[in-house]
Amino acid sequence: MDSMLFLSLLLNGISLGLVYAAVAMGFSLVLGMSGVINFCHGVMFAFGAYFFWILSGYIGFWPSVVIVPICVAIIGFLIERLLIRRVYGLDPLFGLLITLGFSIALEEIIRMIFGPASHNVSAPSFASGTIIIGNFVFSEYRLFIGLFAAIMLGVTWFLISKTNFGAIVKAGMFNSEMVGTLGHNLPKLRTTVFILGAALAGFSGILAAPIWSIKSGMGSAILMPSFMIVLMGGLGSIPGTVIAGLLVGVTTALASMVFPRFVDIIPYVLLVIVLYFRPRGFFGEQNIND
Amino acid sequence: MRLKGKWFLIIGLLAFTGLIPAPAISAGPIKIGVISPMSGNYGDHGALERAGMQMALDEVGGKVLGRPVQLVMADDETNPDVAARRVRRLIEVDGVKFLMGGVSSSVGVAVGAVAEEKKVLYINTNGNSDQLAGEYARHYVFTSAPNMAILVRGGAKYVAENLGKKWFFITHDYSWGQSGTKWARASMKELGCTEVGEIKVPMGTRDFSSQLLQIRNSGADVVVITCAGFDNVALLKQLAEYKIYDKMKVWYTLMEYVDMWPLAKNDRQPYLMTEVYWNENAQTRAWTEKFNKKFPKAACPALDNGNYNGWLSMKVLLAAIKKAGTADDVEKIICTMEGMTIKDNLRANPTYVRSWDHSFLTQVVLGKANPAATGTDIYQIKTITAANKVARTNQENPVDVSCKKK
Repeated sequence: MDSMLFLSLLLNGISLGLVYAAVAMGFSLVLGMSGVINFCHGVMFAFGAYFFWILSGYIGFWPSVVIVPICVAIIGFLIERLLIRRVYGLDPLFGLLITLGFSIALEEIIRMIFGPASHNVSAPSFASGTIIIGNFVFSEYRLFIGLFAAIMLGVTWFLISKTNFGAIVKAGMFNSEMVGTLGHNLPKLRTTVFILGAALAGFSGILAAPIWSIKSGMGSAILMPSFMIVLMGGLGSIPGTVIAGLLVGVTTALASMVFPRFVDIIPYVLLVIVLYFRPRGFFGEQNIND
Repeated sequence: MRLKGKWFLIIGLLAFTGLIPAPAISAGPIKIGVISPMSGNYGDHGALERAGMQMALDEVGGKVLGRPVQLVMADDETNPDVAARRVRRLIEVDGVKFLMGGVSSSVGVAVGAVAEEKKVLYINTNGNSDQLAGEYARHYVFTSAPNMAILVRGGAKYVAENLGKKWFFITHDYSWGQSGTKWARASMKELGCTEVGEIKVPMGTRDFSSQLLQIRNSGADVVVITCAGFDNVALLKQLAEYKIYDKMKVWYTLMEYVDMWPLAKNDRQPYLMTEVYWNENAQTRAWTEKFNKKFPKAACPALDNGNYNGWLSMKVLLAAIKKAGTADDVEKIICTMEGMTIKDNLRANPTYVRSWDHSFLTQVVLGKANPAATGTDIYQIKTITAANKVARTNQENPVDVSCKKK
């Protein structure tokens, strides 16, 4: 394989992997903190893309990047208050089923409001070019989304690892009842984490919209890879999520050279391999069976 | 006289109670089951074909033979197993004798099998795989859309002569996609072109960056693509993102307007085959205007493959029912439909219903997407080919599902 082609594929995989990791991070935080497998997470991603499509035409790229995650976070807040709260402490299967059903309903609502057709939003003008050096080809926009996703993950890591809030969240992932017993407002904490997760999904939707186009079912497409990454990385582990995301992104990109028909099964194969040797994922502190 | 009158009264009462069966003529609505995607990859295509069917129904006042026509809808979810199950319900519970619809060719095959078993007339509206009128051709099944053999042959010569002779294939990895590449490969060999490579992409692929990077460096003159649906919209964007058009030409063996329409102008660059284009003539333009007034929120603001085939299928079925003089004798309607010619089909070439494979043959268009276009006129028409000139012959496709054979 040509080295420049390999480098192009590798960078594509890294860029995509970071976006997957950013989506998965929100999923992981909610699952770790609340024990809820939130299948509405993919719809948050879709909402991010749709709101970005609507707003960016009026107010431009950067203001949309600020406002859209706030809008998605508000939706996340409403979902947590009206729906997710009712399944805390119950079997995770309840949360999965309820959120799955609700996500299907939300997708239909999106389709009713915005129509069944795809919608298009272009990459911002400052990142609309392509870097071509011989056989090395890399889209400026993919470079941008890779960097942006990395920053999002970095900010999330800082929040979780270096702040008091983050310390409480990490403790809550380990034993949420104990955190409540120690006087922290557990319901408020869970709501905050849910909102954070929704905002991360919304950000990721903004990043993906110009390359994938926008359609109501786009959330479903990102949901299962995110879930695989969460399990591979370990519940609530930011480094684990990043590594798992990069692994999925890079492996998928490179595998398309060898067996392009079967790239879809790569996250699942990787999951089986990782969990076979490490049931907790790369850096998880809880076994998925727990 | 009184004795005769008494006998008439007795017979009439017996018929009324059902002991002597009354003649089998229904007076209720004519039910047509519509099995069409309402969700998933082809949800918007499904919405268009249903809108087209409704247009045709409205043109005849919603009635045929004095009876109202009732459409009974079911979502095939672009899943053959789901479609087959729902079609059985349409037939066994809702009592439909006619079925219409279908975007995915795999679904069309599954629905066709049920239709054949249950002896229900099925018009597959938008499946383009040649299998539907080939190895899966059935007596109770008709196909409205031109299959891939017709589409590819309708444009391959132009592509070979004007775009280039080294071809790379992108294949949507299921029945329809494989059909398109198969016919493109056959045409390629006939025209003296060479194959540089092929990549098969599974349905549900959103990121084609890896595939496009390989193709960019392949040395091909033309990328021949058979890909559709939501996946295709992402592919179209990424073709421009990776500057494929700077290196080679792109030819789609079938393009839906609804996939091209939402794109930015710079993303509209490929050559393409389409079954119909809204700006072919005054009739297609007038139909488009009418459609936009009736369905202002439709996914596609123009006459396109989906709504045209829905419209044509309904038109042909209603015409066959009217000509046969019955909506209950399915066999008679099938035999009436065979050999029908529909001239008022909006096109330069009439639609002919071929008896031995139950295909509707009309015409296909080779166009070039125009990045400079404004409004809805986004294609430049390059060639128009009558379907009967490029369709498979009986020698190439040795099937016979006609009434004569039966």
